[in-house]
Amino acid sequence: MRTLLRNGRILDPSQDLDMVGNVLLEDAQIIELGPETSGDADRVIDCSGLWIAPGLVDMHTHLREPGQEHRETIRSGTMAGAAGGYTNLCCMPNTSPPLDNPALVDFILDRAASPDSGGIFVAPVGALTVGQEGEQLSDMAALKRAGVVAVSDEGNPIQNARVMMRAMETCLQIDLPIMAHCEEKSLSEGGCINEGTMSALLGLPGIPRTAEEIAVMRNGLLSLNTGCRLHVMRVSTWGTIEIIGRLKDLGAPVTCDVCPHHFILTEEEIGEFNPHFKTSPPLRTQVDLDIVMQGLAGGVIDAIASDHSPYASHEVSVPIEEAPFGGAALETTLGATLTYLTHPGVLSPLQTFRKLSTTPTEILRLDAGTLRPAATAVAQIVLVDPNVEWSFDPQRTFSRGKNSPFAGAEFRGKVVMTMCGVEVYRDPLFDESRFATPVA
Amino acid sequence: MSRHLLAIRQLEPTEIRELLNLARDFKKRVVAGQDTTVKTRRAIGLLLFENSTRTRVSFEQAASYLGHRTVNFSGAGSSMRKGETLKDTILTLRFERLEALVMRHPAAGAAALAAKDFGSPVINAGDGQHEHPTQALGDALTIMERKGGLDGLVVAIVGDVNHSRVARSNAWLLTKMGAEVRFVGPRTLMPSNPAKLPGSVYYDLRTGVADADVIMCLRLQRERMDDGLLTSVGEYRRQYQVTRSVLRSANQDVLVMHPGPLNRGVEIDDSTADGANSAIADQVSNGIFVRMAALHWVFEEAKVAAGGKA
Repeated sequence: MRTLLRNGRILDPSQDLDMVGNVLLEDAQIIELGPETSGDADRVIDCSGLWIAPGLVDMHTHLREPGQEHRETIRSGTMAGAAGGYTNLCCMPNTSPPLDNPALVDFILDRAASPDSGGIFVAPVGALTVGQEGEQLSDMAALKRAGVVAVSDEGNPIQNARVMMRAMETCLQIDLPIMAHCEEKSLSEGGCINEGTMSALLGLPGIPRTAEEIAVMRNGLLSLNTGCRLHVMRVSTWGTIEIIGRLKDLGAPVTCDVCPHHFILTEEEIGEFNPHFKTSPPLRTQVDLDIVMQGLAGGVIDAIASDHSPYASHEVSVPIEEAPFGGAALETTLGATLTYLTHPGVLSPLQTFRKLSTTPTEILRLDAGTLRPAATAVAQIVLVDPNVEWSFDPQRTFSRGKNSPFAGAEFRGKVVMTMCGVEVYRDPLFDESRFATPVA
Repeated sequence: MSRHLLAIRQLEPTEIRELLNLARDFKKRVVAGQDTTVKTRRAIGLLLFENSTRTRVSFEQAASYLGHRTVNFSGAGSSMRKGETLKDTILTLRFERLEALVMRHPAAGAAALAAKDFGSPVINAGDGQHEHPTQALGDALTIMERKGGLDGLVVAIVGDVNHSRVARSNAWLLTKMGAEVRFVGPRTLMPSNPAKLPGSVYYDLRTGVADADVIMCLRLQRERMDDGLLTSVGEYRRQYQVTRSVLRSANQDVLVMHPGPLNRGVEIDDSTADGANSAIADQVSNGIFVRMAALHWVFEEAKVAAGGKA
């Protein structure tokens, strides 16, 4: 079975390729790409006007299984991922129980590979400490053998610097990156939104920006001194970006990502206590957004992650102080990125897919992020209509989480098809007339 | 759409004036012993998730003067202790045919959330550190009675501004009505970014109350010391206690106020609390009349929405 993706704009950052051409697949594999392809195909998809890019890789997803299936399951999460253009999801370890032993890693990988799941890859991130309690290091070597691609204590970051240093030494030894949510809890504890004008106005307990920056600085210095690869997740303040830029200049093996809400939304969105805009770290100010944009364009920010954090609706129908942090995001991240970064020219299309696919692949050493023939186990491709305008309706998503700061948001650019070996998602708006079966 | 009283920040000056006029009118009639009951008697739910005897009694009195019935719910024995969400509690009360809800809750925005689901008027009786609109209205009525008006007055709000819903509601109301508001207190008890709050910030008590017409003391929660926000109560007392000697920096006929309950000897000394400048007792009394006004006002809008036939 041969499939020809014909006449699309091929964007492959792994080869610095930006050209109009064809991609030829045989069974589940890319076998050829270029301006002209040879050989017959059993099926031809007309990709004119569409972008053909490597399937997206999300560095920060919560699949909630095991233990929190009312929020999401591996099945619903991977289906949402496929609909968002993702072929790889790195799922965070704050499940219940936390992902701190190999048996749970096996469970997740088995579930993800099951025929009724979304048909995309899941790359688990293991817990850095037992129970994510910040004290005793988990058996990270065993976790790595079981298949984790990184370790993290996620939203419950290690507060003790000595424990963090030991974790880094261990991770250096076994060559595993640490993904760190950077937060000094003694400053942020009890906080709800950014400490600033809105917290003053609404009488909500604030989270100071320094809570993030101090932790970034501490972890960055530990990374510089140990040599351990550190990936700082979801940066949100201008200070953090300055610090990471400086750490990189010093030669620290530090990378970082940002999530769409931190380059699009400010604390003002909270309005009259809307819990859908409660994120961790909190939404900051326009100044932060401006510097985040510079960080994306200038390269200090390496990747764009979704921070997909689904919750059941009853969990967010509460006063904002009691609401959980985060929103479902797998199906909005590409649209948000294209609308706010790519179309306005902050990032070129090639840079966009570098941050959404190729760089995350490199940081986590995954088998993804490229259209190079036969370079990955199966072809991972996303077809994007860059210009279609659409509005996000959380009620019509695959995710069980309907909580999103982008409910009703207007976007320009959308996934129309995701292939992970086979076609795993096709948008209902995709024009069927684009398919053709050549007459023999 | 029901009319709610959720936050002074959301009110227009004309609405504030309307509420204060109503309160004045109710006070006159109550004091004269005239009938204040309304034609349409309502069932009012008092849903208090924090203990507050004075607010509950004040609303009960107000409702009773109007001829309404009140139904009490306290947070302690509520179904929420059994795991029910606030939303479900509100929906239950709606279907129990309550026609208005007076609500106090430890989380900011809780009353606004309740208003979305309740379907009838909701009056915020204090939500976390956000607002306490009827307290501010009662305070304003008290000031107007003693000073003749609000426009042009200098009001110093002294103490724990950051954690105070009373400070926020008062600041909005007073500035909307033309007064100048000063927040006075230690840095640790000020919002970190007060620029959006309508008032200027003073860290020194005597400078802050210089030429003030009104000094509003805020209640100091003793647990602030455990949070490390205060070095000692003694030090707070030395720097921020409102005493007769402090009053000398203000205008001679300065009005001293306190939302209660008082920590005598901490934020205010005994003689000042009970002295000639004190309006603390009037604040409590006037609380009833502004709550009558609030209960009347929220139903007025319902009447308009129903075509004036109610």
